[in-house]
Amino acid sequence: MKLRLIQISFAVALAVHGLAQADDTNSQTGPLGKVSFPTSCDSKVQPAFERAVAMLHSFWYSAGEKAFRDVLKDDPQCAIAAWGIASILMSNPLAGQGASPKGAEQAQAAIDEGRRIGAKTERERDYIEAVATYYKDFPTRPEKERQASRAKAYEALAQKYPTDDEAQIFFALYLAGTQTQADQTYAAYLRAAAILENEFRKYPDHPGVAHYLIHSYDAPPIADKGLAAARKYAGIAPAAPHALHMPSHIFTRVGAWEESAATNARSLEVAKAGNEPDEAYHATDYMVYAYLQLARDAEARRSIDAAMKITGSNPARFTAPYAIAAMPARYAFERGAWQEAAKLQPTGSTYPFVEAITYFTRSVGASRSGDLAAARKDAEQLESIHKALLAAKNTYWATEVEVQWLAATGWIALGEGRSDEALKFMRAAADLEDHNEKHIVTPGRIVPARELLGDMLLELKQPDAALKEYEASQLREPNRFRNYLGSARAAEMAGDRAKAAAYYQKLLVLAKDADTARPELESAKKLASR
Amino acid sequence: MSRLARLISAGLLCAAIAALPPIAAADAVDADPDLAKRDEDYAAGKRAVEKKDWSQAVRLFQRAEVRNPDNADLQNMLGYSYRNLKQYDLAFTHYKRAIELDPRHRGAHEYIGEAYLLTGDLANAEKHLAALRDICLLPCEELKDLERAVAEYRARKT
Repeated sequence: MKLRLIQISFAVALAVHGLAQADDTNSQTGPLGKVSFPTSCDSKVQPAFERAVAMLHSFWYSAGEKAFRDVLKDDPQCAIAAWGIASILMSNPLAGQGASPKGAEQAQAAIDEGRRIGAKTERERDYIEAVATYYKDFPTRPEKERQASRAKAYEALAQKYPTDDEAQIFFALYLAGTQTQADQTYAAYLRAAAILENEFRKYPDHPGVAHYLIHSYDAPPIADKGLAAARKYAGIAPAAPHALHMPSHIFTRVGAWEESAATNARSLEVAKAGNEPDEAYHATDYMVYAYLQLARDAEARRSIDAAMKITGSNPARFTAPYAIAAMPARYAFERGAWQEAAKLQPTGSTYPFVEAITYFTRSVGASRSGDLAAARKDAEQLESIHKALLAAKNTYWATEVEVQWLAATGWIALGEGRSDEALKFMRAAADLEDHNEKHIVTPGRIVPARELLGDMLLELKQPDAALKEYEASQLREPNRFRNYLGSARAAEMAGDRAKAAAYYQKLLVLAKDADTARPELESAKKLASR
Repeated sequence: MSRLARLISAGLLCAAIAALPPIAAADAVDADPDLAKRDEDYAAGKRAVEKKDWSQAVRLFQRAEVRNPDNADLQNMLGYSYRNLKQYDLAFTHYKRAIELDPRHRGAHEYIGEAYLLTGDLANAEKHLAALRDICLLPCEELKDLERAVAEYRARKT
């Protein structure tokens, strides 16, 4: 299909409220990439419709829904706009959360309206029916079933209209949305990526293609395949906060911290200007993670402090609460500030797995600074949260908290002098974590469990074993400051001076623009040159 | 804790978490944290279990199964209900399905282990005891209960 450049020159009339630092609604104008979606609607609404589809492709929910509704208002016979409304109300199809019950009601109303209007072409009617399969029997079907039926419906659509690139692209998206955490062959992701790579060759400026390629490669062993799309996407749709943030999923996976920090800084500004507090928190968490790997502690601190002033986040999403708990925990952990870690205060989140972040950090911090009584108390909190999550059948987060509980228990055992027990717990934590993919809400766990196992082995003066674990951890969590530091120390302790020097050199390269004099860097400078 | 008490207790905890702002709705990857809330037959089946009306529980869970064929908890509850009806073959089928769906399902490992003891199959009970030992490196009720059941079985046989 012929593609047409969409220049977003409209102003989305969103009230700016709730963001303490919001000051620029003008940022909601700007390019969103090239999309072509022919319709039978009045030609006067066609550009606005395609802009709305571009927003849908960049998961720009608030602006996109309004844009589709405006199209329907301006052309009440434009039934396909109802498809757009129902599509955008499915929320992020890759996060597994799905539509909210209220959103589902609104979407069903839009679908009913689209059917009542009656689209003039069979293709448009098919699009409406494809999205309708997702909402069918919404209250009684699990999200996974909705996802599966959506993917099947769009597969049929793509097969029926093989020259309709939008149908191929949406099918790829919804196919990727069926990827399960348990499947570490990433079959659905890779099948989606194959479709999208073909589209990417044809349409390098399409926002959905680049965007969905990033999602389809958002897993450790395949992340490097997404670098081209990641580097392209922010430039395709710089007006969309998600487009600016999303490349950092790949940058984080491959340890490209400077690129991650830069794109999230831009995402943060656009999110603040556009009154998107959740996006602002999400971008800041990724940015803080990146700054800490670069030893830019002062920038990380400033970013955390600024983020904590943002208000108006959506309580129905755990995006902001997660970042609020994770950022201070990362700040303490990545600097090895164990006493500071032990003193973190729970954030009062209503999400138990968010509270667990703080208890985990406190417990390990207390153990590593010698306060075992406090460490035990916080580990008990992890036990309670784990049990509650299991009882609530919240299997994924129960497992994440179990990893934290095992690790915290391991460090307590180490403090008590029970080395074998300590290693048993810590190794179990690392093995369990390896089989539970990280959630997209986070750039990474507060610390990779296998890296923490390396730390423990190093404490136990087992440098060869420690180095093995550090290097295994690098496969899933590459280019991390504390990993290189641990690897260098382990190699040095094992008597491998060349390897130690190489790791110290990596550390120095990583921290070449450090804004804080971490003591480790001073010794690294001496040891790297030996 | 008796298993019925534990099931009820788990239900209360579950309800307490469900009452929080939307942990279940916001969970991006969990299989089905919310089944009791959105499937009336499943919820009614659990009430039948509390009343020990096992036949009614099976009927209700079977109806829920049509809509939720891949739910490990539902399979576990079906296994439990059949076990109490002494229909062990069907109980094993559903417990095994629960474990297939969720290999770390603590409840299913415990209950199938106990079901094996009821049929005199100590070897298979011990396989699930070993599985629970791997899963429950940190304390869990399911491991303690199955350990106790195996110990009692051995005592009776000696």
